[in-house]
Amino acid sequence: MLSDVAFGQYYPVSSPVHRLDPRTKIVILIAYIVMIFLIKNFVGFVLAGAFLLATIIIAKVPIGSVIKSVKAILFIIIITFIINLFLHKEEGAKVLFDVWLLNKITDKSIKYALFMALRLSFLVFGSSLLTLTTTPVSLTDGIESLLTPLKWIRFPVHELALIMSIALRFIPTLMEETDRIISAQKARGADFETGNFLKKAKALLPVLIPLVISAFRRAEELGDAMDARCYNGSKNRTKYKKLTFKFRDFISVFITAAVFTAVIFANIYLGGIV
Amino acid sequence: MDIICNGLGFQYSKKTEFAKYALKDVSLTIKSGEFFGIIGHTGSGKSTFIRHLNALCEVQEGSLSVGEIDLSPEKKKGKKKKEYKKRLKDLRKSVGMVFQYPEQQLFAETVFEDVAFGYKNFNEKPSAEEVEAAVKGALSLVGLDYNLVKDKSPFDLSGGQKRRVAIAGVLVAKPSILVLDEPCAGLDPAGKTELWALLHHLHKTTVETIIVVSHDMNDVAKHCTRVAMFSDGTLKRVATPSELFDDTILIEESGLEVPVTAFIKNELLKNGLEIKTDYTDDNFVEQIVNLYKSRQV
Repeated sequence: MLSDVAFGQYYPVSSPVHRLDPRTKIVILIAYIVMIFLIKNFVGFVLAGAFLLATIIIAKVPIGSVIKSVKAILFIIIITFIINLFLHKEEGAKVLFDVWLLNKITDKSIKYALFMALRLSFLVFGSSLLTLTTTPVSLTDGIESLLTPLKWIRFPVHELALIMSIALRFIPTLMEETDRIISAQKARGADFETGNFLKKAKALLPVLIPLVISAFRRAEELGDAMDARCYNGSKNRTKYKKLTFKFRDFISVFITAAVFTAVIFANIYLGGIV
Repeated sequence: MDIICNGLGFQYSKKTEFAKYALKDVSLTIKSGEFFGIIGHTGSGKSTFIRHLNALCEVQEGSLSVGEIDLSPEKKKGKKKKEYKKRLKDLRKSVGMVFQYPEQQLFAETVFEDVAFGYKNFNEKPSAEEVEAAVKGALSLVGLDYNLVKDKSPFDLSGGQKRRVAIAGVLVAKPSILVLDEPCAGLDPAGKTELWALLHHLHKTTVETIIVVSHDMNDVAKHCTRVAMFSDGTLKRVATPSELFDDTILIEESGLEVPVTAFIKNELLKNGLEIKTDYTDDNFVEQIVNLYKSRQV
């Protein structure tokens, strides 16, 4: 079944990481992403890796589900690795193999390519950890709250957050729907597996058309239901769950800041690629 | 074509933390020529069971065979994959599957194209005449005028017509077993009566076996020759409707409602009036009239 595909699906356990304020988690993730792109040497990656590992352990999330998340972009990572391996140029780099084509590979380019691959995987690990430990609803609440300053320039923050939460809410529903339609067309002898790319794409038409139609139908029904309840996202709308910062939020921000600083120091004292 | 399954079991999300048995140790034989009913509350495993009949769920435990086609797990290993695929096609050709709200699977620009979809999938390079004949046949089976609807968009039809077109899209492959999941859901009473009439007509003419999943016990009592009751993924009972509805307690324990005839019978029994009936409307009325007459004398 399609719904077996779990990409960063919320993992329901109770842990300090799950209980953190979503805003804290988003800010920490942003800091973490900046950090992995600032890292210049392996010591930095060790620090970032330790930080990640500690978070996974505290979050009580199975390590396998975090690692699995990299599968989705494995192709991109490999491509990036290969491109950097051949195209990265740096002063004083030693050519390792004196063979045609392979002579582009230097000791520096290997390290650089490895770093890029590591960065991308760390990026995905971190982001999937966020979605694994935060429900979609609180995630959008957090984003809405963080974007509040944009309201001053009349940016429709609440509407944006609403669109996001509706989209997230309907992913499982649409998956189920897709599954149902695929079953129905398979029962009518549709074959989605054989043939070349073009043929396969064409075979998807009997699935996509009913799916789009039903998505429109659902959207209309949802709109009607919201209208019927006089939904109005604008001013003075109160929240069922108010976000508040707790002591643990400050602790976690402090720890992140410490790791960040350590990475910067590692960069300064150990220099570039070692 | 008989359907024989032995110890059939199935888990969704197998080998994950979400794994759960949807079907457990189901042994059941459905003989050719039956008008078979499947009942059970939501989540009882009946949908998972019928998905197996079309190999939309692969057999995980136990064995299942539909006619000559064996779907047991060990039959598809290794080099036999291609042969297995061929068997799948044969299976789906002979077991027509009408899902709940089948009109939601319509996709083509014209009714003709949509009905022809199944035929073109199941037959190697059919000629235009063959396709036309098959579509004509399927549409007339479901009581639609071929010339009137063939060029229309399926989305311009009424709800009842859409459902007929969708059923025609399954019948076009000339299945010998037809499986329907809640075929009457969302239809008005007149539409329901027509649909049941259509199913009986099919049963008499082109389709050998009909298997219907239903929530409406009145329909089951009225139309089915045998009924299987599912509850929590297990097969609770297989019996004729009259045997099954005698056991009011079992039905109610499983979260189902007995048919109206059974309800009245039980109420009469409470008031000291016993009648014997097979729970079909006609028989029930007959029994009451007989009883009335015998008391008059």
